[in-house]
Amino acid sequence: MTRDDAAYRIMAHMIPFFPDYDASVQVASALIDGGASYLEIQFPYSDPTADGPAIQGACATALDRGFTVSEGWRFVRDLTARTPVPVFVMSYAGLVYAHEVQRFVKTAADAGVSGLIVPDLPVDSDEGLFAAAADAGVHAVPVIAMGAGESRLRLIESVGAEYVYASLRRGTTGSHTEIGPENSAFVDRLARSGARVLAGFGIATREQVRAVLDHAHAAVVGSAFVRAIGENPTAPADPVRRLCARLSGIG
Amino acid sequence: MNSGFFGAFGGRYVAEVLRGPLDELDLAFQEASRDATFWEEFHRIGAEYVGRPTPLLFAENSTRELGGARLYIKLEGLANTGAHKINNAVGQALLARRMGKHRIIAETGAGQHGLATAAICAKLGLECTVYMGEVDINRQRPNVYLMEVFGATVVPVASGSRTLKDAVNEALRDWAGSYDTTHYIIGSALGPSPYPDMVREFQSVIGQEVVRQLSEREVTPTAMVACVGGGSNAIGFFAPYLEREAPRLIGVEAGGRGPEPGQHAARLNGLGRTGIVQGYKSLFLLDDDGQVSHTHSVSAGLDYPGVGPQLAWLGEQGRIEFRTATDEQALEAVQFFARNEGVVFALESAHGGYQAMQLARSLSSNDAVVVNMSGRGDKDLFITARELMPETWHEFLVSEATSIAASLEEGRSR
Ligand SMILES: Cc1ncc(COP(=O)(O)O)c(C=O)c1O
Repeated sequence: MTRDDAAYRIMAHMIPFFPDYDASVQVASALIDGGASYLEIQFPYSDPTADGPAIQGACATALDRGFTVSEGWRFVRDLTARTPVPVFVMSYAGLVYAHEVQRFVKTAADAGVSGLIVPDLPVDSDEGLFAAAADAGVHAVPVIAMGAGESRLRLIESVGAEYVYASLRRGTTGSHTEIGPENSAFVDRLARSGARVLAGFGIATREQVRAVLDHAHAAVVGSAFVRAIGENPTAPADPVRRLCARLSGIG
Repeated sequence: MNSGFFGAFGGRYVAEVLRGPLDELDLAFQEASRDATFWEEFHRIGAEYVGRPTPLLFAENSTRELGGARLYIKLEGLANTGAHKINNAVGQALLARRMGKHRIIAETGAGQHGLATAAICAKLGLECTVYMGEVDINRQRPNVYLMEVFGATVVPVASGSRTLKDAVNEALRDWAGSYDTTHYIIGSALGPSPYPDMVREFQSVIGQEVVRQLSEREVTPTAMVACVGGGSNAIGFFAPYLEREAPRLIGVEAGGRGPEPGQHAARLNGLGRTGIVQGYKSLFLLDDDGQVSHTHSVSAGLDYPGVGPQLAWLGEQGRIEFRTATDEQALEAVQFFARNEGVVFALESAHGGYQAMQLARSLSSNDAVVVNMSGRGDKDLFITARELMPETWHEFLVSEATSIAASLEEGRSR
């Protein structure tokens, strides 16, 4: 089964080299088999300030196991060669800037990446990310947090991004998010610009996914997979596939 | 583009969630800056509580022994809570209160900023949480104890290198979820704009006093020397002189155990690279792949892998010269000033002290060198005593531990 059978559109997050290289290749396959509509590949960074404990710990492990940016691109190239599922790469300004923004974007495009998500390169401090991405035919995805003021929302809309990433609450990744009227209205507000809204932060259950997808284009699931891998570090593929299938509705 | 840049350095590279609170802070700071009553209260607390002005000592014996320039020491470490950090903590705590925030968070390395923040929160009735790396908790235990006595919650940080930079990460994470009620008091002149400007303004009280104290004695300084962690004591000490050609301004970084990667925290001597970390662009110690490097210094306050953006820019412009002092040289300076002046430098400040000694030796008696003793060394007791008199200190600790164990035992059996 594949994403075409999925009832619910999931953007599944994962980290190359977590828990190690080979296992992370299997995790990617498990997410694809589990019906993920998009893959978000996080390139681990030493100082992931937007992430909660689960993803922080996973990034630290991945760095210990030998993740480097060039290994990350190898992982992504292998992945895009074997799946039509669109791959987005997420990382932090520190890493993207150290590898030169233009070059990072170009390498991403050559590796078959569909989009880039760099939360701390916002549209008005982007070091040329959005222009480089447009040139290279890659989506640069602005990240918008619940509670952003109307003037920030309009500024972000003005770049005309096809995808926007909505954090459904304040704080960092990982802890539970209640889907209620406030964050639903926030997603609706973003969707009105015509952008496809990828909504996430604290999504771990099918009920949350369903609630989010009444409003958003896709539900982003991250820490829940990281936790599933952490509980089964030697054989993560099955539990990850089962979780993904449950969330995407193919299983 | 927003201001908040110093040449190419600075900026506000934060995830959107922190953009709102930073914009709000920027506005609040601008308003407060124009409000005379805000500064009146800042200076009143400075005089009544912090102990300002801090003295400027003519280091007569050191001058004689070094045989060169006249050496002056700004005794900033005599400020309440033991370091310059209190200036910024008072300023930002007043600003937080003005903004209606009742909870304060802070990061700390040496514990001096955490201590200052905990103290002013106790005084102003604000709730206080301090993030501190586990490594730093172990080497600066006396400050942890004092923070807790002031009623602050000290949260150990176990991620990354378990030092200052990781405590900053954890504070940023807290703030991203809590900014409605909470103000984040950054402890150095770094981070996203407006922090570097704000921290410099609050710390410039040091430099303003030095200008006055020197002119009262009709001394024209040849050079000013300060240690540089994130850069707050240096930028505050140098502030009145930045637009002038003289005196020479010299910042001293942690040379640690030597120039090998991971053994020091010298970012401005060609070892740092331009990067974007923790919300601002500056010079950082990065590995070949762009990850933030581990650092080392005997002083917990100087081992941060980045430096405030204004100092990076002033270094690039050549207005500030940068040097290093090693762990050993810092310890040497602690002993030198203790013996000659009856003054105990904090290990951080002693890095500046060491280079001030070198500089004084190389100049003549027509010259005057002023060094900022940003902190006093009481907090370093457990590090310096272990280095300087290991046997006696070991004996003392063992007997102390034995006696505590005995009284605990007695308490249990009662
Ligand atoms: C006494 C003292 N001096 C200097 C520093 C370094 O900070 P900065 O460079 O911001 O002055 C610290 C930091 O903890 C400190 O405690």
